[in-house]
Amino acid sequence: MRNRRARLVLTLLLLTAFTLITLDYRKSGALSGVRRVASSVFGPIEHVVGDVVHPIGSWFSGIGHIGSYKSENKKLHNQVSGLQTQLRLQNREHQLYLQAVKLLHLTGLAQYTIVPTEVTAVSTDLGFGTSVTIDRGSANGVAVNETVINASGLVGRVTSVGRTSATVELADNDGFIVGCRLSSKAATIGQVTANGAGSPMTLQVFDTTTKLVIGEQMVTLGSGGRGDPYVPEVPIGTITKVLPINGQLSQSAEVKPYVDFSSLDLLAVVVHSPPTIKHDSLLPASPSPEPTATVTVTATPGTKPSSSSSASSSSGTTP
Amino acid sequence: MPDALAVQRILLRVFVVFAAYLAQVGLVDRMRLPLVGPDLLLLVVIAFALVGGRQRGAQLGFFAGLVADLLPPSNHLVGLFAFTYTLIGYAVGMIDTGEETSVLASFAAVAGGSVAMVLVYAGLGGLVGDDGVTAHATVHSLIGTVVYDVILAPFVVPLVARTARRLEPVGPRTVGLH
Repeated sequence: MRNRRARLVLTLLLLTAFTLITLDYRKSGALSGVRRVASSVFGPIEHVVGDVVHPIGSWFSGIGHIGSYKSENKKLHNQVSGLQTQLRLQNREHQLYLQAVKLLHLTGLAQYTIVPTEVTAVSTDLGFGTSVTIDRGSANGVAVNETVINASGLVGRVTSVGRTSATVELADNDGFIVGCRLSSKAATIGQVTANGAGSPMTLQVFDTTTKLVIGEQMVTLGSGGRGDPYVPEVPIGTITKVLPINGQLSQSAEVKPYVDFSSLDLLAVVVHSPPTIKHDSLLPASPSPEPTATVTVTATPGTKPSSSSSASSSSGTTP
Repeated sequence: MPDALAVQRILLRVFVVFAAYLAQVGLVDRMRLPLVGPDLLLLVVIAFALVGGRQRGAQLGFFAGLVADLLPPSNHLVGLFAFTYTLIGYAVGMIDTGEETSVLASFAAVAGGSVAMVLVYAGLGGLVGDDGVTAHATVHSLIGTVVYDVILAPFVVPLVARTARRLEPVGPRTVGLH
């Protein structure tokens, strides 16, 4: 008797849940409306919770990062002794300040209009798609589909907005796609796809004659339209490995993003970008060019071959 | 006519579900642990289902899933977690634990529940075409969720089960009005 009732309840609940899925799948307004209300109510609560528990969380995640801190520490020791003092000051406010300075510099170069914001909550959805709550919403000028960046580059896109909080879909989610432009002279256009947290992104170029080079940088293309809502010139990452061509028409490569998605803190929502931005102006300075030597050997009949050599250097991006 | 105890029970469950969800998105997921981190909400659902039986488990699972679907931040199709948690809650509620929840039963419930959770979510998500569900992510999720949930289970499950039992006047398998 009890089992039958329980089964009835189960069937009812499962049907309701499935109806919700269908409703949301067909993009009816009702459910996103509920999400917006929930966002307005729980956004501030998550903000408070986040402020309270952040020290605990960063202590835990600090444990995982000890190895990389040590090697970074060693590197800085060899460079300038003054940096040692800065490292000792590493607390959250100082980090936020550094991020803010870098972020302001970046947005100043591009003349973006931004809404600075902080991460208050993260949801990994069982690892199937990470999204992040930020503490700014429609009351601050944030709207859906706006690009989200941090001091290093592209972080993601706003997917839903409440009054004082919003949800951002991260750029390292499996299936995330963004149009990009390489910073090389040819300014090749391509597409970067993310393959999940921790995995490198994949770059695919469309021009069959392009040869990809390790270390090449790329920024968002910002071609506009619903398929590509991102503002242009946001740094994405650099090529770390060129993949073999394997029967495809054009080359692809692995990309390491500039942004460290495991430690997002200070972000900015780009609410407006100017109609034109100088190409590659936001990228970090490219490594100094190495002179390449070319040797040409000319032979004339009857005389011994003479050789001439010339050195040429490739120019980097001009600010 | 809902009596004070019933209201207390409902309020406790609502509070624990919200607390677990806020702890999950405010603390656990923020740490971006390697692989996929633990699912506190799942542990809470499992704990309540072990104590309360299959119907209670399904109801609580539905509520918990709705919370995970609607509250920020969430980018998946609404209803996915509601469906999954309902099913898991019902299934775990079927485990016959008698008066005391044995350690073995808890661990079995957590390990089995975590695997089932990921598989049901991935299966349903894949079926309806949710963007995030890929084979690679599913494997990642399976390993991570099981490992972390089993590690956290000894802390979360007994705590929740004890609180639930304190307000539970009758067990799920004794004869009585529900």
